[in-house]
Amino acid sequence: MGAETTWTLDELSRLSGYSKRTIRYYISRGVLPGPLRAGRGSRYGEAHLERLARIRELQERGLTLAEIAFELAGEGGGDLPEPVPCQVFALAPGVMVQVRADLPPWRLKKIRRGLEAFARHLAADETVMETRDDVPDVPEQERS
Amino acid sequence: MPTTNTMETEGGILGPVEAGRGRPLELDMQRLLLTGTVLPVGARLRVIHTFATADTKPVEVVYAFMLPRDAALRSFQVEGPGFSAHSELRPVEEAERIYEEGLEEGHLATYARTHRDGVVNLAVGNLRGGEPVTVTLEILAGVDLADEGYRFRFPFTLAPSYHREARVVALPEGGAVELPEHAFGDVLLPRWHTDARGLHEIGFALDVAGPGTGVEVASPSHPIRVGSRADGLLVSLATAGEVPDRDLVLDVGLDGTRTFALGGPAGDGASHFAAVVPSVAFGTREETPRTVVFLLDRSGSMNGEPMQQARRALAACLAALDEQDRFAIVAFDNSVEFFSPILRPASRKEREAAARWLERIDARGGTELAAGVAAAARLLGSTGGDIFVITDGQVFATEDVLASVKKAGARLHTLGIGSASQDRFLTLLARRTGGVSRFVTPRERVDTAALDLFASVARPVAQDLAVEAPEGCDLRPAPPETVFPGTPVVLWGRADDTVPGALTLTFSDPDGEGLLEVPLTLHGQDLGETVRLLRGARLITDLESTLDGAEEAAGAAGRRTGRRKLSRLASLSSSFGLASRAMALVAVVERAGDRPGELPETRVVPVGLPDGMVPAGVFGAPHVVKDFLASYIEAPPKVLCCVLDAIVEDPGSSPPPGPEMDARTDELLDLLARLEPDGGMPGSTPEARILATVLVLLAAAAQGSSTRRGPCRAHVRRMVRFVEATLPAGLPADRREAVKAAVAAVRGEQVAGWDWLELAGSASGDDAGAWEALLEAAEEGAF
Repeated sequence: MGAETTWTLDELSRLSGYSKRTIRYYISRGVLPGPLRAGRGSRYGEAHLERLARIRELQERGLTLAEIAFELAGEGGGDLPEPVPCQVFALAPGVMVQVRADLPPWRLKKIRRGLEAFARHLAADETVMETRDDVPDVPEQERS
Repeated sequence: MPTTNTMETEGGILGPVEAGRGRPLELDMQRLLLTGTVLPVGARLRVIHTFATADTKPVEVVYAFMLPRDAALRSFQVEGPGFSAHSELRPVEEAERIYEEGLEEGHLATYARTHRDGVVNLAVGNLRGGEPVTVTLEILAGVDLADEGYRFRFPFTLAPSYHREARVVALPEGGAVELPEHAFGDVLLPRWHTDARGLHEIGFALDVAGPGTGVEVASPSHPIRVGSRADGLLVSLATAGEVPDRDLVLDVGLDGTRTFALGGPAGDGASHFAAVVPSVAFGTREETPRTVVFLLDRSGSMNGEPMQQARRALAACLAALDEQDRFAIVAFDNSVEFFSPILRPASRKEREAAARWLERIDARGGTELAAGVAAAARLLGSTGGDIFVITDGQVFATEDVLASVKKAGARLHTLGIGSASQDRFLTLLARRTGGVSRFVTPRERVDTAALDLFASVARPVAQDLAVEAPEGCDLRPAPPETVFPGTPVVLWGRADDTVPGALTLTFSDPDGEGLLEVPLTLHGQDLGETVRLLRGARLITDLESTLDGAEEAAGAAGRRTGRRKLSRLASLSSSFGLASRAMALVAVVERAGDRPGELPETRVVPVGLPDGMVPAGVFGAPHVVKDFLASYIEAPPKVLCCVLDAIVEDPGSSPPPGPEMDARTDELLDLLARLEPDGGMPGSTPEARILATVLVLLAAAAQGSSTRRGPCRAHVRRMVRFVEATLPAGLPADRREAVKAAVAAVRGEQVAGWDWLELAGSASGDDAGAWEALLEAAEEGAF
């Protein structure tokens, strides 16, 4: 097929086996780029078809759309934010805290200590804290 | 607009935030209001959804919800500034085409389609910023009918359920489930928020009508306000700011001994009726030995409160087993585990061993219900018997489960536990196999509900039930062939002309053949159309539940597999004017200034994780998603701050307190669990055993159980039998008379005043004080 082959949403749907709504949803979720030309009779190209095939492959490996977005971001697709590695701490039922994993070790240690104190605090069934000072040590520059 | 957890911080006013991104949560669907009429044979509902977006670009909002039991969509009305349109019922492919074409032209397009498992996607496309749009959807739904009342359940959230091939992920705000297209088509599921505050607001105002109602209405799920109406009651939500994290559950009391009928002439020129025949009309049953396999769902979604409740329910049932009964227990998740490889006699030793085994069963893994049922059916073997399932029913592809369970050939009774409705599925599961089902919320006493259901298991009051169809009468959906105590029979039908005066029922019972004449005296004449639609919804649900994903896909592609079922479904849909998996609802509205070709952004309305459910149980432990979370964070530190602020400054409106778990009931059940297989309490001498048993018997009676009614009726019957059969010869005459008087008082349901529970709990051996109390009560004739 020539590089200039383009399709309507209907055609892309038939070629890829995904319904039109699914394709629109994938565009909304950022795992598939928008149409080549906006406006009436918008067109889709080879790249869309390839990307849909790749999505199917990743789905068959059990990945969710969110994970696929992450995977594809590495392949230079989508306009996703630069991924930031994070550590996740489940402090209490319903409370999860994410901390950037690339902070210097001494700061991570300090944050972890703060979070541990906070978790103990929550576990003691004191959901309301007296002052803002009780908030674990969140580095200043990250607050803004 | 929900106004919960708006808080002021140094950064300014913060509304509800998206936990993952820290940006204000924008609600595309703002409110959901449930209205309509609830009757003892079903409900005709109008659900009003209010959509609005602040976006400058057009959006497509998809709201996914679960149908109640025996339900179907009828139509919708879409309204906005300067426009109003009614939906059309079209074959699915055509409706989808109309919708997509409307979208491409820039028009406001609305589409409601039922997918597998009763999941509906309601899509509103090309919603413009600042343009409020309401969609009023008419839904027909069934109710859970028992002799003494009925339970109406409406799902405000749907349960994140299990499927082998589902892709599941934990998210900062909760989690998401995606289903494979090859088996489920393009159904969209919502994201689940662990903290539902800040999601759309829900409300309800329902007319509760019909004969025998107007006495009692209660809700174990929501605070309600009850007002009176000409024909019944108006039940509405008593508080503001309720969020979608659990079903609405309404319990309506009925006079359990009356037969009644609803119906009248309908829009199709014929008459439609639904007659309710209480199970007591079929007489009582004999207490025959039972063979029961308890099937316990130990999947991850049961984690926490539901699992504890299930264990309690099962322990209570074990205690209610008779010495002649045989039982087994099977626990399942992805794998199946047995208490014993064969059926065991329900001796005290075996029951105690079972209770110990049960204690170490915890929740984990997936919900391979079909495998569990197959294992339970193998245990029963050719001798037959009943399977008593305790589950949250949280599985997708329920049609496949139904098919394989039907093949297993055993009768299933289902006790559902959960705050999000899998009521539709569990009802079908019991109905398809000839059993009965109940669905309780985790805030209720699950053990008493379990006992209540268990008391009716395996001891039907009527079998081989058949109804003679009068000339010109269509008696579909067909009544069950087996009638269990506590569950009435509903006779549905359509008559070419007027409703016949009576129906003749034949059945077999332990004494031989039975015959019952059911008069069809209608309560009013104006419910014909409603009954017609309820019949249609029930017929559609029954047929839909036999159509699996492969058949649906093949049928849509024109292949013979599935095509016949789909076309039968389509013709049912057209004749009743109700949507199904073959027919969908669609409307397109042209507005001034519609711009063609603009691709709307698709967004799915989030819902709350069902109340009481542990996120790690369904979505996995947080560490699994470490890498994934990274892709989601635009400004992680900011998120951290917001989340902490929310904890620090908003103590949170704690969920409404559930009905108080009554300590007295706990104590009573603890005592009942100690019953010996002969039906008596343990004790060192025959006399001490009699005393202890009579005290527990009186305690149970004081809490509302007799030989005929109440959750502990099975225990009461056993204790009465024990006392009557084993009165020791050496017992002094006055004590003997006191015991007889006590039993008579229990039989006559005349136990009230005394605090028998306290005496029963403290009496030991030949407690002279307890005998004295008993003698005194007997003398005064007041227990």
